[in-house]
Amino acid sequence: MKQFFKKCYLAIILIFLYVPIIVLIAQSFNAGKSRAKWEGLSLHWYSELFSNVSIMNALWVTVSVAVIATIVATILGTLAAIGIYSMKRRPQAFMMTVTNLPNTMPDIVTGVSLMLLYIFAKVERGYFTMVLAHITFDVPYVVLSVLPKLKQMNKHTYEAALDLGATPAYALSHVIIPECKQGIVTGALLAFTLSLDDFTISYFTTSPLVQNLSTLIYSATKLGISPVYYALSSLMFVVLLVLLLIVNHRTADNKD
Amino acid sequence: MEEPRMIHLENISKEYDGVTVLDDINLYIRKKEFVTLLGPSGCGKTTTLRIIGGFEYPSTGRVMFEGKDITNLPPYKRRVNTVFQKYALFPHLNVYDNIAFGLKLKKMSRAEIGKRVDKMLNLVNMAGYGKRSVDSLSGGQQQRIAIARSLVNEPEVLLLDEPLGALDLKLRKEMQLELKSMQQQLGITFLYVTHDQEEALTMSDTIVVMNAGHILQIGTPKKIYDEPENAFVANFIGESNIIRGIMIRDELVNFSGVDFPCVDAGFGENAPVDVVVRPEDIVIVGEDIGQLTGTVKSVLFKGVHYEMMIESGDFTWKVHSTSMQPAGSRVGLSIVPFNIHIMHPMKEAGK
Repeated sequence: MKQFFKKCYLAIILIFLYVPIIVLIAQSFNAGKSRAKWEGLSLHWYSELFSNVSIMNALWVTVSVAVIATIVATILGTLAAIGIYSMKRRPQAFMMTVTNLPNTMPDIVTGVSLMLLYIFAKVERGYFTMVLAHITFDVPYVVLSVLPKLKQMNKHTYEAALDLGATPAYALSHVIIPECKQGIVTGALLAFTLSLDDFTISYFTTSPLVQNLSTLIYSATKLGISPVYYALSSLMFVVLLVLLLIVNHRTADNKD
Repeated sequence: MEEPRMIHLENISKEYDGVTVLDDINLYIRKKEFVTLLGPSGCGKTTTLRIIGGFEYPSTGRVMFEGKDITNLPPYKRRVNTVFQKYALFPHLNVYDNIAFGLKLKKMSRAEIGKRVDKMLNLVNMAGYGKRSVDSLSGGQQQRIAIARSLVNEPEVLLLDEPLGALDLKLRKEMQLELKSMQQQLGITFLYVTHDQEEALTMSDTIVVMNAGHILQIGTPKKIYDEPENAFVANFIGESNIIRGIMIRDELVNFSGVDFPCVDAGFGENAPVDVVVRPEDIVIVGEDIGQLTGTVKSVLFKGVHYEMMIESGDFTWKVHSTSMQPAGSRVGLSIVPFNIHIMHPMKEAGK
């Protein structure tokens, strides 16, 4: 009996979580424009999606921002993690708090504060500011993925490399970075995923002329949403799902 | 023939955040010598090793290597190699690449590297393990690879930081002998750090006993065991009875209220001293003929011998003997002059 309730409870949670998405995906294959009536299976909205210039532009913005932000954040985050790792205990604890804080902060706070910063610094908002914003929120996630790998390492690993004749730069590139490669890749994937599906921060840090997919969808909903966006959202859901599965799989592996 | 000095530490002191961990250390190590730094944890032995390896810089003093000052030389420019605690192998490289790491940095040809790595694998009895991943090896095997990885670079001096600490007793004893024979075979200077006095006695040519950032005594294992300079060394190396006494005159000492003839001299007359007697050097005799008399308080069987605690006056003697006296029995104790060792009393400072 207890087992039965346990399973029911889980089922209810999953239904609440996934039914809306299933409805969305189903509607994206609906031939008609009406949401109330099923008019047969069709890929019509998908073909329209790929011929829609503004959506394709937004897709380009989304992906290119995510790629640039991921690359930059991975480099910065990895180096930051190595720096934090080699700090003494007290400054290390301080840096960890500073790193964790943005993660717990609501996106809207990050978004608004970045917007204010850009206005204050008289930087015109657009593609560049959006990239900067994405790098900003990606870096802590990379740090948090790389740091545990460094801590698992024998504390004399770096010294052992120097001892065998490696210069500090060689030890970094041939020993330290390969040793925490798993954490770096996980961090990069996480950063890429977060960057792809970010709305709030992007919304505040770009201009209406440079839209990524999520801000585009948001502005489209104001005019009454076309089923093209169902197709788009379905595709985004699938891509993010795959990325998240990869990330989760990797973090599960890391814990072994 | 005396070998030349390889390494000379001159007035080395080291402070961390105002805490002195090494206080004016002076030490030299001769070529081909097996020197052990021995002391309890926190005595500064590892710090000394790390200063020679180049991982720490002394607050004051100089490190000389074959007559040249290397105090500020980074580790990768020093002709010494280190075997670290818990090995510090590179898990992302296989056994072969771990050992080849240093040789690749020297831009050696592939064929030459292969030859040398194979030779090393043979030396440490790990031939055929080249392709294995480091994580698939046991602790003892990892230790052998760590040693091979250092030795393949043909260092002038090999520094070993408690390399056998993580191994079980039996394996540790085997590795002690192997390390010693490797050292003799290759003719490399070894500087070894351990807190295990037995290990130090087995392997070393010279033992340096350290405590609280000071060197307490430097000498051969036999000298350190037989003639410890103070109560700390006597206690740390082997087991001992240490009792306060008065040196009446040369070759006569009084402790436990009895005058004992001994062989030491030069402490002055009526001078307070510390007296060391090893447990195996106390002979149990009949109550009527002993220099001291006492009551057996407890008996422990230790395998080779019995350990008896014998109370005589206000001091309890630890006695090792192959014949057992039952607890509660009255016995006599006798010590021959040669086995009584006199030391200057320890200064209380630094304990």
